[in-house]
Amino acid sequence: MIGSVLGWLLDPEHWRSTPFDTGIWAQLGAHVGFTLIALAIAVLLALPAGLVIGHTGRGSWLVSAANAVRALPTVGVLVLLVVVISPHFYGRTNAGFLIPTEIVLVVLAVPPILSNAYAGVQNVPPQVRDAAFGMGMTGPQVLGRVELPNALPLIFSGFRSAMLQVIATATIASYVTLGGLGRFIYDGLAQKDYPQMIGGAVLVAALALISDLLVALVQRYAVSRGVSRRFRTDTGPDSRTAVLVEEDVR
Amino acid sequence: MSVDVLPLDASSSPLAFWSYFLDHRSTDLGWLWDHTWLSVVPVVVGLVLALPLGWLARRHAWVYPPMMSVTGLLYTIPSIALFVLIPPLFGLSVLSPLQVPIALSVYSTSLLVRVVADGLAAVPSETVQAATALGYRPLARFTRVELPIAVPVITAGLRVAIVANVSIVAVAGTIGLDNLGRLFDQGFTLSVNEPYYPPIVLGIVLCVLLALVLDAVVLVVDRLLTPWRRAVAAR
Amino acid sequence: MKTTTLIAAAAATVLTLGGVSACGSSSSDSGSGSGGTVASGLIFGGPAEFKTRTDGIPGLQKTYGVKFAKYTVTDTGGPVTVGALKRGQIDAADLFTTDPSIEANDFVVLEDPKSNFKAQNIVPIINKTKATDGTKQVLNAIQAKLTTDGLGALLDKIQNDKEDPDAVAKEWLDDQDLDGAGTLAKGVSLTVGSANFPENVVLADIYADALSNQGATVTKKLNIGSREKYYPALKSGSLDLFPEYTGTILAYLDATSTVSTPDDVYAALAKALPANLVALDKADAEDSDAVVVTKQTAEKYDLKSIADLARTAK
Repeated sequence: MIGSVLGWLLDPEHWRSTPFDTGIWAQLGAHVGFTLIALAIAVLLALPAGLVIGHTGRGSWLVSAANAVRALPTVGVLVLLVVVISPHFYGRTNAGFLIPTEIVLVVLAVPPILSNAYAGVQNVPPQVRDAAFGMGMTGPQVLGRVELPNALPLIFSGFRSAMLQVIATATIASYVTLGGLGRFIYDGLAQKDYPQMIGGAVLVAALALISDLLVALVQRYAVSRGVSRRFRTDTGPDSRTAVLVEEDVR
Repeated sequence: MSVDVLPLDASSSPLAFWSYFLDHRSTDLGWLWDHTWLSVVPVVVGLVLALPLGWLARRHAWVYPPMMSVTGLLYTIPSIALFVLIPPLFGLSVLSPLQVPIALSVYSTSLLVRVVADGLAAVPSETVQAATALGYRPLARFTRVELPIAVPVITAGLRVAIVANVSIVAVAGTIGLDNLGRLFDQGFTLSVNEPYYPPIVLGIVLCVLLALVLDAVVLVVDRLLTPWRRAVAAR
Repeated sequence: MKTTTLIAAAAATVLTLGGVSACGSSSSDSGSGSGGTVASGLIFGGPAEFKTRTDGIPGLQKTYGVKFAKYTVTDTGGPVTVGALKRGQIDAADLFTTDPSIEANDFVVLEDPKSNFKAQNIVPIINKTKATDGTKQVLNAIQAKLTTDGLGALLDKIQNDKEDPDAVAKEWLDDQDLDGAGTLAKGVSLTVGSANFPENVVLADIYADALSNQGATVTKKLNIGSREKYYPALKSGSLDLFPEYTGTILAYLDATSTVSTPDDVYAALAKALPANLVALDKADAEDSDAVVVTKQTAEKYDLKSIADLARTAK
């Protein structure tokens, strides 16, 4: 079994696209595309909101509300949105399926980014904040130069958690006929081509692992050493426990 | 999205989900039951496995980093990929119904190992020293002192795991396994010519209710296991 | 503030990149049609397995010389395929002949004069130990009354009127005078299964209800999913009775089989089934794959049969 999966993965034919079969490169590109669009929108929405809520302490109900959204079954919301949205698009476009998918992915990505940005700012020691104000910094300056850098480790772990969920969930985009690496899983199942199915699963897992490593690398360089050293001796939250931060919020 | 796509009076209206449920009660309740055990059992399995592993990671400092790396790695594998990878790894048939509980147990375990280890780490060392001084052997100290104090952290992890499971189980419905996810499949199939909302909305409502109920159950268990927190709060 | 600017810039880049790669899959379709055949300007949509099945894309090419510009994976005769065809995302699709949405959307079914598609007569597959003379008599009486049009009408009730399959099944049995109570199947206890699409469910309901009227103890296990999942259950005896389609079950059991007429397929199926399973009478009712186009496409290229797709485009 392992041999035939490797055989499927190593066959250069499977990486190239033909009019009838979209190759691995193209599906990988589509998968990364869905993920990047969703993460970009989610970061634009959630990061500023989380920082401002954390800084002002007002509107923290928004964080709780975003977290309650986690209870929604993603597949169900996807199907509902497809049924509502796709009949409005005509012609050679997959927008009718792309838009619902992106909405679902953004909805998934917002809660961890929002609650971690919020918690990150909230967790900045009050002495540090007071010192910054005492030095004559304005509110926005405190947020941008003190609170944000201090909150970065938590913000990154929220982002990583969001990214992993989005990569995993982008697979089910294939259920509503879009491309992406999930295509191989669903098609392999339909064609009884199990090496293809398992090969697809291996690719998704590999994409998730590599992306997480890359962001971890960025995090290493982006986070000030003064901040990260403190987090290294602590048991700092990682992508898994990032979600637990919400518990401290309430 | 305009209003006309949501006909609120017809039987295909999103609000007709309740009468849809009444019409298909036995099937829907069957799926609800499947969904419930598929969400709960893996968390229980995960906890049973995570307790000794977490304890080991606390007790022997050198175990902690590799154990966290391995479980962290497992947690990054997307669910649908894991569903599909489990059968060949465990020698099951490709569409074995066991693949979902096994896959979810892997997630729950890898989440909870970290939670248990960190929860135990948060037990104040003075408390542990006091227990030792009172003559507790390591095992008794673990079960009767450290573990109870770590309960709030562990139950927080359990809540996250169980709510996540409810959503992930529905994904398995898209590869033909029985649970509430099938309602989405069904609603989608019946939406060929015009949208047919009731099964889809019913599925979402039941999933959310299930998640809320299971979350509440964990909360109640948490309260029962930590009576001292209420005592402190009442003071 | 530097970080914020960076994040914004990164996000903008990402949006552009993401937009390009996500749409890339759909932008390069038509245009290759000039000078080629009709089909070489069309996009075909259907289930993933149709792409590789012997009577799918390879069969269309071999039998008719039809080669489409592109294949888009949609679903198995479901909402995605119908929607994509209706809204012009694809030009031709693999649908099933009983599908009421063909009529509802004015789709045109292209004829298959060279019988590329295998016959797909409805046939109950039953475990030999449960195939008593009584159960055979009950089921074969149903088989004799099942017609393609009748099946289409049943599906219409389920799919468009959202009636419950079991109610539709009971109504049909009543209309056909097949709902009489009796003792033909007394003493038999069996489990009836079905795949997860409405037509198969209603057929299983019809079989199950008729058998229980005749005194059998019936357990229903409907909506089981795909054949890969239910066939092993049927073979191992955890299911006893299943509504099947002669062509698809034959192709599943013997991928190399090339027969296509109803009688040939039925005869080949009898041989291909394992010793513990038997096929009862096949019905006239068929639900076979068909190449379907929209009315506009059919008129534009004057299409009546699949062979017309291989003509040179004007």
